[in-house]
Amino acid sequence: MTAQSKPYSSTRQAALLLLPTFVVLVAFLYYPGIETFRLSLYETLFLGQQTAWVGAGNFVELAGSATYRHSFLITVLFAAIVVVGTLSVSLAISYMLFHVDVGSSTYLVAAIWPYALPPAVAAILLNFILHPNLGIFTHYLELLTPFTLDWFNSGPQAFALVAVVAIWKQLGYNVIFLVAALNNVPDTLSETARIDGVGHVRLLRKVYVPLISPTIVFLVVMNTIYAFFSTFPLVDLLTSGGPSNATNFLIFKLYRDAFEFSSLGLASAESVVLFVLVAVLMYVQIRISDEYAQYGA
Amino acid sequence: MATTIESTTSRVEQFGRRLPGKLWIHLGLVGSIGLMSTPLVLALVMSTQTTSEVYQVTNVGLGSQGLDNYWTALTEYGFGRYMLNSLVMSVVIVVGKVSLSLLAALALVYYELPYERAVFMFILLTLLLPVPVRIVPLFQLMADLGWTNTLLALTGPYVASATAVFLFRQHFMSIPASLVETARLDGVGPVRFLFSVLVPMSRGMIAGVCVITFIYSWNQFLWPLVAVTDKSSQVVQVGIRYIQGSAQSGLTQWGLIMAGAVLALLPPLVVLLAMHRPLLETFAIQQK
Repeated sequence: MTAQSKPYSSTRQAALLLLPTFVVLVAFLYYPGIETFRLSLYETLFLGQQTAWVGAGNFVELAGSATYRHSFLITVLFAAIVVVGTLSVSLAISYMLFHVDVGSSTYLVAAIWPYALPPAVAAILLNFILHPNLGIFTHYLELLTPFTLDWFNSGPQAFALVAVVAIWKQLGYNVIFLVAALNNVPDTLSETARIDGVGHVRLLRKVYVPLISPTIVFLVVMNTIYAFFSTFPLVDLLTSGGPSNATNFLIFKLYRDAFEFSSLGLASAESVVLFVLVAVLMYVQIRISDEYAQYGA
Repeated sequence: MATTIESTTSRVEQFGRRLPGKLWIHLGLVGSIGLMSTPLVLALVMSTQTTSEVYQVTNVGLGSQGLDNYWTALTEYGFGRYMLNSLVMSVVIVVGKVSLSLLAALALVYYELPYERAVFMFILLTLLLPVPVRIVPLFQLMADLGWTNTLLALTGPYVASATAVFLFRQHFMSIPASLVETARLDGVGPVRFLFSVLVPMSRGMIAGVCVITFIYSWNQFLWPLVAVTDKSSQVVQVGIRYIQGSAQSGLTQWGLIMAGAVLALLPPLVVLLAMHRPLLETFAIQQK
């Protein structure tokens, strides 16, 4: 809309309309956001009673800490697994939803319900079903295979469990976007491909995935942010970061350092690291979607 | 007549040729959705069992507790209170976020605003600041304001949103200019313009933002855990943490925990099922 056709011109009224949003954003987002950077330069002493300037000291401490480096590495690995796992499963489900002829809207609603699933509930449900002693899934798994499920004591199993819960919970969100993207693919394209007798897997890989790649990039970014930030309840309710730090992801370590050990300065430095990560991801997302917008893919 | 028969046979043939493929799709969908929903079904069943019934691992029949576990969770384990707190928190966030964002979008789209782009960027840039990035100072701020353990702490930081402003702005810009022109010529004031033109024309979008915000607020866990330490002010997601802790003395009362989990899941699930249409439409715009 051009400036000419804008019906109202009072700058004061406009400012008044923007004021509530600005007050909330400044007070609860910008101010604490900037404060995080300031606090990250201080060391907290005596359980938060006193602070002392340490400059980059907290960052040096993080870089030198084997626990933090471990936490960083397993979080990156975890995010990669969650992103790939979520996208593969939801792509398969979305492709079927895209092709189904009867009852497609019922199927769609049934497939996106995990979008409403609270992470805490997701954690507690799978905690029960995969419980090493009581889980019904555990029971049949151990009956039918030589495998023993014991994520109380096995680090890799605990890691895998949290990943499974994280993927399960995130399927609905991904299916919503993938189905919408597939429905935007021109019919003629898939018709042509089908006449050529191309199999479904190849069709998906060679035709659909390239066509919906802007959506896939968007989901990679959203799923990565989700894996880094939103999996706190899963760790908290399933493994408490254990066994022996196998699931001590960055967000969980941050919470512990801040609110259990009262190392507010160190925790703020950890927040700064997370900020850098979000900033990079958002930048990638914007750059790539710009490119697609320009070249019309 | 002949053509009708011909086309019917060809359609039947086509159907026959297609059936195996389509059948596989139905089986695949039923299978994957079934797998996705099994934990929920099992939770529903187990929530009706007594602790000793739960401990018979392969017993997947409805238990003898009926809805007693739900009643116990609601009354003795504080879930009634937690559910109410979650509901109040979510409704306040939904109403606050939608109102504030509508006003901001009105200013951005329909006012000749100096530095309009900068103002919009200032709002959008907050996307870089999710709660974990500012959790320590935010926690301290709540303590300084005396908001710890209050509804204000749970809702205040969430009532403004870059995403909602962005969505309403996009939607307003798609409203035909002729309508706006008519309003301008009639000398309609901004408040009436908002309520008699914009809101009625944005019903679907407002509904979509409401659903997304409600589910998002209801499912919050980390911030309530940090901002609220007093159990009577706590929300139901953290209530799950409490019930898991307190049901663990002796034989874990899994039936009770499952009842609590089902309670904590029901409101967002019902909202999603009832309002999936505006939700899907709103998401379709968000990604662009």
